[in-house]
Amino acid sequence: MIEVRKVHKWFGSLHVLRGIDMQVEKGEVLVIVGPSGSGKSTLLRCINLLIQPDSGDILLEGVKVNEPDIRPEWVREQIGMVFQSFNLFTHLTALKNVMLGLTKVKRMDAVEAEKVARYELERVGLADKADSYPAQLSGGQQQRVAIARALALNPKVMLFDEPTSALDPEFIHEVLDVMTKLAFEGMTMVVVSHEMGFAKSVADQLIFMDNGVILEVGVPEEVFANPKTDRMRAFIGKILG
Amino acid sequence: MIHANDQVWWRRLWREHRFKSGVGLVALLAVVSLLLIALNNIGEISFDFMASHWSFLLQYAIISLEATVISFVVGFSLGIPMGLIRAFGPNTMRRGGLKGLLASPLYAFVTGYTEVIRGTPALVQILLIQFWVTSSFQGITGISLLAGVIALSVNTTGYQTEVFRAGFQSVGQGQIEAAKSIGMRSVQTFANITLPQGLRLITLPLANEWIALFKASSLLWFIAVQELLWGMDYLGTKLNHPIDAFILGSLFYLAILIPLSRAVGFLERAKRIPGLGVTEPQRKALFSSRFARQTRA
Repeated sequence: MIEVRKVHKWFGSLHVLRGIDMQVEKGEVLVIVGPSGSGKSTLLRCINLLIQPDSGDILLEGVKVNEPDIRPEWVREQIGMVFQSFNLFTHLTALKNVMLGLTKVKRMDAVEAEKVARYELERVGLADKADSYPAQLSGGQQQRVAIARALALNPKVMLFDEPTSALDPEFIHEVLDVMTKLAFEGMTMVVVSHEMGFAKSVADQLIFMDNGVILEVGVPEEVFANPKTDRMRAFIGKILG
Repeated sequence: MIHANDQVWWRRLWREHRFKSGVGLVALLAVVSLLLIALNNIGEISFDFMASHWSFLLQYAIISLEATVISFVVGFSLGIPMGLIRAFGPNTMRRGGLKGLLASPLYAFVTGYTEVIRGTPALVQILLIQFWVTSSFQGITGISLLAGVIALSVNTTGYQTEVFRAGFQSVGQGQIEAAKSIGMRSVQTFANITLPQGLRLITLPLANEWIALFKASSLLWFIAVQELLWGMDYLGTKLNHPIDAFILGSLFYLAILIPLSRAVGFLERAKRIPGLGVTEPQRKALFSSRFARQTRA
């Protein structure tokens, strides 16, 4: 479904991604962990071309998408993304937030778009919040609206950039529940997260990144049980306390 | 909070912010009226003169208003694209390509324009443009009004550009990224996210610019445009009633600007994003009666 080949990215003189290779199959859930500043978020943003990689290939269903003659909008339309800080459109209701992509990007008419949007809000358990504005919702509810907004476009892959890091502890589970449900429905997902419980129960593949390189790849249980590198061992020690 | 004293009706009434500011307003008007009546009685000012000449000033007030409205609309329509260049020009330049190549001189031009306009007196700009316009297009009737409107437009464009720049830049980068992530093009992102949110943020500074511009229209008196100040000056010097004329003229400025600022306040409340910004109780405390009325409905 998604393949990343030898991707490099510099920010000025800072070498953020140093040759990333990875692959996600259809229906697979990949969790990326690593200390902050290791390049996880940059990697996610390279996949949907919010950041253009300086070299290397991004392949979506076998097609190289970081080409000048491919419109990045076309790629992003097929890849949903959920952000750490929700990034809902503050001047629009939950319903309108979900509808915007449908009416503007998919050119759906308003009646049809509203039907889809209401269905998506119901899927994340927020049918009754359709008319609320983002600032009137809790963090967990905002993040679920953000998931609905991404899902509405019927994406092939969903990217999650630390979706629960900005949440109060009491709201984390409601977002993880929605993500778990999605995974079981067969959605292809790439998740940057430090939720080890989620990684163990849902992920098919786990990647440990540090300093712009992938240090370990494998089935979550195994990587956690037998870390091969010192840095992974130190990192696990830190997050498990 | 329940006060023991709230049993007494007038104490309860006195606790209302609305009531208190109402009392203040009535008191202010009473003092001003009394003062004017006293001045009228000792013959310093003349109500009769004002009553018989207000319609004379009205026609000039309309000229002032027209000049302001036209200039403001010009400034608004130029301010949006120029504010956009000011806000996002440097980013586009960094990205390179054809757009980047174009962005660089445009950004330099717009930045220079706003610096020059905001760094020189409006009166100097008006005189300069008037000399240029009158020497280039001689013998056209109403040439000074045309020059005046051009000068005010040039002036307000510089200020409005900066207002729009600030508004556009205050819209969160995260939302722009989110809009991109669902496949929206940059024009769509601007029209659906940046513009509607930016406009909400700049309602007040934009209204301030309107108020400043309307008052600045009196500067057109210097280039012999027959506007409100010209009318006042005429009444004052030709009919020898300067104090009456200037008081009456001031009332015209007030009569136009006070309803306007009220309307802007109303617009701001109507378009406020629910749940964002100061909460209602805080607003009430800050602005007392002005906002209390809205929440009680």
